[in-house]
Amino acid sequence: MTLASERVEIPADALLQYELSLENHWGDGVPMLPATDDAVGALLAASPYPADHVVCVLPPVNGVATVELVAINAAMAGVEPAAFGLVLAALEAISEPEWNAFGLTTTTSSVFPMLIVNGPCRDDLGIDYRASCMGGAGGRGSMTIGRAVALCLRNIGGQRAGETTKSVFGQPARFGFCIGEWEERSPWPSLAQRRGFAADDDVVTVHGGKGTFPMADIHNDDPRDLLYLIAKSIAYPLANMYLGNVENGEVVVAFNPMWAERFGVAFPDADDLAAYLQTNAWQPIDLWPETNAELLRNRGRVDGHGRVHLVERPDQIVPIVCGGLGSLHAIALPSFGESTMQSKRVVRSS
Amino acid sequence: MSTGTNTIWVRRPTAPPAGDVSAPTFRLERPLTGLTIGLRTDRAWRSWQLIASVWEEYLRRDGAQTIAVETGAQIGQPASGDRKQIDEFAGQVDAAIVGLGTCGSCTTFTIKDAVTVEEHEKPVVAIVCEEFTVHAHNVARHVGHSDMNVLVLPYPLEARPTEELQQIARDYYPKVLELLGVTV
Repeated sequence: MTLASERVEIPADALLQYELSLENHWGDGVPMLPATDDAVGALLAASPYPADHVVCVLPPVNGVATVELVAINAAMAGVEPAAFGLVLAALEAISEPEWNAFGLTTTTSSVFPMLIVNGPCRDDLGIDYRASCMGGAGGRGSMTIGRAVALCLRNIGGQRAGETTKSVFGQPARFGFCIGEWEERSPWPSLAQRRGFAADDDVVTVHGGKGTFPMADIHNDDPRDLLYLIAKSIAYPLANMYLGNVENGEVVVAFNPMWAERFGVAFPDADDLAAYLQTNAWQPIDLWPETNAELLRNRGRVDGHGRVHLVERPDQIVPIVCGGLGSLHAIALPSFGESTMQSKRVVRSS
Repeated sequence: MSTGTNTIWVRRPTAPPAGDVSAPTFRLERPLTGLTIGLRTDRAWRSWQLIASVWEEYLRRDGAQTIAVETGAQIGQPASGDRKQIDEFAGQVDAAIVGLGTCGSCTTFTIKDAVTVEEHEKPVVAIVCEEFTVHAHNVARHVGHSDMNVLVLPYPLEARPTEELQQIARDYYPKVLELLGVTV
């Protein structure tokens, strides 16, 4: 297999490799695997596309992401060949105009691509969707696929903290965020199915998430009460969605399987559940100081009852099911606002 | 691909640097009288709205007509409307002042909208705050407009008293005219 990228001679010693990666700004500060021709070749062999196929152009520097360059970064992250298609699918999703990669890769916000995987590949590839799925479970797929996407944004897209990306705080997901949905414990069709894919499709959905926003309750077992409190919690007054356009962006809300089961009894249809959340995700205009309140009024954000809704439509609140069986908790992945989540089916090599 | 016991060969993970090409820039090379100058504001920044309103007043005082547009979206139908409005705006004006770059994504979209004006072969100056200067030049370079006029205002503008913002507007107005190529 002939590769087009530049060959570089590096030390064989792992510690020296790590130090070189820091010096060359090739990484995220964590040791990486060497992108040898063998490692890159194995990934390319699993690709449905030729090495010179352009997956996308990645901002902020508009770097051309060929399959080969993506494979090099995936090799450094430790992606196994069977998972390479998920990296490609994620990058395709990110490059959809409505995901707004140029805005999201340059913003002062903490937003970063958060990958949600559906389909049969989750177990085979080590995509975490059970206990500690958002950090700590350590599945190879979750850790390497998300990291490969992050490395592509750095090495191909040119993201450099404080230079090309102005994110004030960054966030842990900038090391890579990739979870699965616990479809088997969900009372609703999977996220991918609700977005038009088949149950046996492997699908990557990319959400521009600002972080992991934790919620907890131990006092109330009523599903409507709990969902009401979740709705109020995600409508926090300094949410991005109160800054921008009410019709843009989505908030992902991850329910643990125990709560999901309870919610599924009250709301057998996920659309009805989302509608209930949207209906209750508002704050009274009086909550905001007058300076903010005036702007919200001027932008038509206040309804006839003095309520300021977080989002305009139910489909802007996206429930998923994942996490451990310890119950008690939910996690929201708040939106940047000016970004629409994108899903891509994973294409396998024939 | 080992070449010995102490080294191995790997592949470079970075994309080749983009060529430093630049689209042409334009200058008025004439007095303001009778010209139409556009001002693009962003609804996010009240400080910029105030500065732009002062400049609008000065431009009229100096004999120009003005057209003001306000943007506020990056995706969806609102963004489509914004970009269409900017394209029409670029077609109507003789030159434009486009701002404000005082966050990451708003700097990106300030430069993008300024590019639209340059694509109409009109003089333009993009207004950014000091903290976002390098980012603005980077974006301009990456979209092929390296030589775009960028005027840098102090940072931050937010939380400054109105009088101070008005003084900044007064202080920087001559520089705006200079960058647009206005002659006396």
